[in-house]
Formats: sequence, structure tokens, C-alpha cells
Amino acid sequence: ANAARRPWRLFGAMCLLRLPRITQPLEKEEEEMAALMGQIELEKSHYSDHEIRKLEEEERLKRRRESPDDDDDDDEGTGKTVIMAQDLEDKWEQKFLRFKAAPRITDADKKNIRTSLNRKLDSNLMLLVKQKIGNQELWLLPQVEWQPGETLRSTAERAMATFLGDDIQAKILGNAPYGIYKYKFPRAIRTEDNVGAKVFFFKAFLQSSDFTPTELKADYLWVTKNELGDYLKPEYLKKVNRFLLD
Amino acid sequence: LCSFSSCSSLVPQRGPLRGSHWQSSVLTLRTSLPVRAQPKKKKKVDVKKEQAQKDRMKKKLKKLEKVAPELIPIEDFITPLKYSDSNRVRSLPALSPEEAERRVLLLKKWSLFKQKQDEAEKKAIRSLVESQQEALRELRLESEELYQAAIRRDEGLFPFQREGPTYTPPLPGYDPPEGKCVDITKVYTQ
Repeated sequence: ANAARRPWRLFGAMCLLRLPRITQPLEKEEEEMAALMGQIELEKSHYSDHEIRKLEEEERLKRRRESPDDDDDDDEGTGKTVIMAQDLEDKWEQKFLRFKAAPRITDADKKNIRTSLNRKLDSNLMLLVKQKIGNQELWLLPQVEWQPGETLRSTAERAMATFLGDDIQAKILGNAPYGIYKYKFPRAIRTEDNVGAKVFFFKAFLQSSDFTPTELKADYLWVTKNELGDYLKPEYLKKVNRFLLD
Repeated sequence: LCSFSSCSSLVPQRGPLRGSHWQSSVLTLRTSLPVRAQPKKKKKVDVKKEQAQKDRMKKKLKKLEKVAPELIPIEDFITPLKYSDSNRVRSLPALSPEEAERRVLLLKKWSLFKQKQDEAEKKAIRSLVESQQEALRELRLESEELYQAAIRRDEGLFPFQREGPTYTPPLPGYDPPEGKCVDITKVYTQ
């Protein structure tokens, strides 16, 4: 069927995304709105059991302070210690302060180590690899040439496996490509049936959380959408930005 | 013979299967020629009694079913009476006009913010769909079979499960306190 050799070479590239692990910080309007909602909820609510108990105990304390002599509560007489609601609240507060959560801004963030997966936990991270195209070394999404007999999706999977090893767990989103970048080769190497190349992009989500690639053959980086501009060529970047939601 | 008749009235529940319909009572040992008159009487009486019992049961069932089934109460919609006490009402200072003004302005700002956010999301989705359509068009120009492979459904994609982001990342080496979760929801049957 494909007897006539097409002039374009096909490549399959994989855009591997590490999804965010923590929530993004709230915008100013969102914070104001959240405070307002809390206030309105408080105004519309009734007292809870805990609050009623607290109010009653405060009243009792006040009465006892004002008339210290002749108040004979049962508890005073028997000498039992009563746990007040305020004590409970203090205890809970102490327990909360003692717990130390993991920091949202990690070490890798502070030192801007772009090869680590632990930075920018609140945004998507994409894998970029340095590849040799023609006689230039460029930063690209990992790509590999298509071979007849396989679908483009398997080309993209092969691209991922070549750069990251076989045991990578990624969920590829569908069989269809998400974007395309086509370019013509410079006149020097252009021939009748080798005009240029078409690179088809596929998207995948990284599933394994602690991923440390041991057998990486080339230089790699994990970057966010905003930092892509530092590494990719403008035309390439334009096409890639079209299918990135962030 | 009297004992036989009492046995055979209980037979239909537990007796073994009849070999042939000529064998009228299941527990008989073949001692003599089957006497036609008595077995017939036994059958009629039994059949009538059984039918009468069945009818009574059916009537009882119908009476029960005529009553509409009791609705299962939704616990969330019924406020327990202890929460409508008057001492429960919160006593807060009334809203000043400046505060009311501030709230209204904030709500307007919020609606504008949300509109912009929604617009940006829709734009991103539109550009993604466009990019995908363009890619498929180019692929079709290249080779039809690759195109057909690309537009095929991916069966392994759904059901897609993913844990959402939390406020802080997971603490390595954290030992959560031991405990058991006991479910005390009330289960109603109609």
C-alpha cells in the first residue's frame, strides 16, 4: 500500500508529565473569599456541644471568683479534678504544634537542582533530554524514529524506554498523538525522498512516585511549563505549548 | 391403616419421589393390591387442605403488601430536636453597613476572577483539541493505517484512578497512630 516512499521521516516523541503532589497556593482573591465564607458560616451556625460546655464552665469560674466563700460545688467538696473544655483545647493545640509536616518547598527547590523530581511539587514537571539531531545537540522531548511495523504509540513508548529504562510505569493517554512538529532538513542534506521530519507528540503521566533513573544515557532535566522556554527552540516550543494544560 | 393416613398427610414435604403414578402412597410397602377407594380419599383431602393453606397464606401476603412500604428516613435531613434549643443561637454583633458593602464588592471581584479562570481553562482545552486535530490530519496524510491505529479506542485507559494532591508532601518514615475504624451507620430494611 505504501509503495511510494513518503518524503517525510516520522518520529514519535513522549511528553512525560510528573503530576503535582501538593496543592497550589491560593490567589489573593481566593484567600479573601475563603475567609468571607468562613465568616458567613460562623454567623449562620449554632453553638456546638463543646462550645456550650466551654461557656458554662466560664460562667461557673466567674461566679466562683466573684463569690469565693460560699460556693459549694460537689466537685470542690470531694476534691475531684474536673477537666475543663479549655484544658482540652490547650492539649489539642500542643499536640498539633508538636507535629512537624514535610516542607512544601524542598531542598531541591532551594538549590534549583533541575534534574531532581522533588522540586516544584505543586506543578507538572516534564522530561527533557539532550539529543543529537543532524550535527546539533538540542534539548528535546525524548524522541525516536518510527520503524515500519509499529504504531506511533509504541514508537513513543520505545522512546521513553530508551531514555529511562524498561521498568518505567507511565499511563499513556490514548492512542492518538497530541501535537505535531514538522521541519524541513537544511538544503544540504535534503534529497528527493527525505525532505524533512514530522515529530508526533504523545502525553503520559508518570505513575511511580520515587523514580530515580539509574541507566540514563543522556543529559536529562525535569522542567515546568514556564521553564521550557529556557531550553526549547521557539518554533518547537510553540507547538509543544499548545497541548500543555497548566 | 389409621397410622398410614396420618403419615401420608405429611408425606408431600419429605417423602422420596414416586416411581410411577400408579404408586399412590409413597411410603407403602407393596403388601397387597392397591385398594382404589382409600388412596383416592386421602389424595382429595390432602389436596384440599393444602390448597386451603396456600390460599390463606396468599391472603395474608396480599394484606401485608397492600400497606405501602415504610420510607427509609434520611438521617441528614432530620435535625435532632436538641439543636433547636434557643440557648444554642449564637450572639454576634450585627453587620455594619461598611462590612456589608465590603462583602458585596468582594463577591463581585470573585465572580470576575472565576470568569477569567474559566475562560482561560476553556481556551487551553480548545487549543489542545486543535493541536490534536492537526496532528491527526498530518498523520492521515502520511499513512492511512497509522491513522486508523491512532483513532482506535484505548481500552486500558479507563477506569483511570489517581490520588489527588495534598497540602504537604508525604513525610518519609512517618508512623501513623494505630487505631480501628468502627462503622456505626444505621442500616434500615424496608
